[in-house]
Amino acid sequence: MDSLILGKYLPYNTIVHRLDPRAKILMMLMIMVAIFIPAGFLGYLLIAIFAFTGLMLSKIKIKSIIKAFKPMWFMMMFLFVINVLEIKTGKVLVEFKWLTIYDDALFQTLYIMVRLLLMITVTTILTATTKPLDLTLAIEDLLTPFKVIKVPAHEIAMMISIALRFIPTLIEETQRIMKAQASRGVDLEEGKLKEKIIAILSLIVPLFVTAIQRAGDLANAMEAKGYIPGAKRSRYKQLKMKAMDYSLLGVCAFMIVVLIVVGQVL
Amino acid sequence: MSIKFEKVNYTYSLNTPFKYVALKEIDLDITPNKITAIIGATGSGKSTLVQHLNALLIPTGGTVTVFERMISSLEKPKKLKDLRKKVGLVFQFPEYQLFEETVEKDICFGPKNFNMEDAEKRALDCLKLVSLDPNIKQKSPLDLSGGQKRRVAIAGILAMDPDVLVLDEPTAGLDPKGAKDMMNLFQSINQTMKKTIIIVTHDMEHVLNYCDEVVVMDKGRVRGKYLVSDFFKDTSFLKELNILPPSVIRFKEELNACGFSIDEKVEDIQSLANAIVKVVL
Repeated sequence: MDSLILGKYLPYNTIVHRLDPRAKILMMLMIMVAIFIPAGFLGYLLIAIFAFTGLMLSKIKIKSIIKAFKPMWFMMMFLFVINVLEIKTGKVLVEFKWLTIYDDALFQTLYIMVRLLLMITVTTILTATTKPLDLTLAIEDLLTPFKVIKVPAHEIAMMISIALRFIPTLIEETQRIMKAQASRGVDLEEGKLKEKIIAILSLIVPLFVTAIQRAGDLANAMEAKGYIPGAKRSRYKQLKMKAMDYSLLGVCAFMIVVLIVVGQVL
Repeated sequence: MSIKFEKVNYTYSLNTPFKYVALKEIDLDITPNKITAIIGATGSGKSTLVQHLNALLIPTGGTVTVFERMISSLEKPKKLKDLRKKVGLVFQFPEYQLFEETVEKDICFGPKNFNMEDAEKRALDCLKLVSLDPNIKQKSPLDLSGGQKRRVAIAGILAMDPDVLVLDEPTAGLDPKGAKDMMNLFQSINQTMKKTIIIVTHDMEHVLNYCDEVVVMDKGRVRGKYLVSDFFKDTSFLKELNILPPSVIRFKEELNACGFSIDEKVEDIQSLANAIVKVVL
């Protein structure tokens, strides 16, 4: 369960929580773009200051970010090895018989690490401070302009919100079935490979059966309540952008400009 | 041969903002070879309590002792298979755990996990025990009716031949006849095979008619353990817990409120009728 903390909504009421979800999505996208502007470590420092201020303000524990980063060590080592073998520019750091390591290889790996860390931080801030339903409302709003080119904004948002709605249900269901099968002697931790495969089957089959049943029931319930895809609908919760949202969007835009300038100068 | 809870606490999602205290300072002894009912409002911790019996949940404080096997928060338990074989736990709506291609294979699943011999023979015996037609053993469990599925699921636990059978609301969603058959089945398992049975239920009629002892849970605590014969004597306690007494008990109370004085023990329609006859004549 603990690994699920990443991306899970944390029910606090901080200034980041109160921002408009649309503004938060746009800010996330802008920072993502900013992360890929080549402006050296100075640029990353700027983004990092911004991102970690957000992290502090939204009361997310840094521990949880580090935890999320842990499984990536293997990938990092892998990347480093590839980089060492491929990148042959910059100063020579180590020379050992047939192997020469250049400092660009080291920097490249470090850049990728920093980028990943920043991306994880930014997306965690978004999902930890925004209720899933607000997120879908925001996605729907942001997709609305694309209706001109026949993007079914409302339907996409509906699908996302149904999917999000059923994540906890399915987790609960999974735990229930796991316990039920554990009571029948299934051991997911110990046991041989063949036993493990059967153990996983005993979990997946009932899970699929109930999920499909649920989907059918939900479709019927929605139809019974008069849901028609594509019909014009009003909305109870109205999103409203405040001065704070606009100014933060401005800050993000300004940051992109600064990064581009820094990148040109370097 | 005993089950003992000592100062058991259980908190869900400990150390997160979502933490929820489900059990508080539970002290409880379950009497062997009896049918014990666990009652209480929704969210009072009944299901959490029974999941401690075969170590699906490990207490966050205190100890649970089941057949000399002690489980506590202090050590991470290993090798729980023995315990899980001895305590058969049937979850709410157990029909959702069926997954094999045939009924027979599904019932054999438990016994085979515990490396028991003659699983197929056990499966057949258990099918008969839950009064299902042995001919359905080659059918897919998903093709059966709801009631049949539940029987197959219970047969799957019975086939493990546990010493203690724990059932979490086994009659939920069954029709009255199906529920009655189910309870009769548990009673006969208790009487003929001398197995300890623990049933989580909301149905006071079942408590009165089938159970020997009753454990009352309220907001994560055990309010008390009573003999069923004593429990329904004092209905003021039931009222305090917001529990509707069984209909025969209510009938007796109504009669007494109208001026009769029946103070005999009433436990079914027959004994109620006898008591009325005695008073009237």
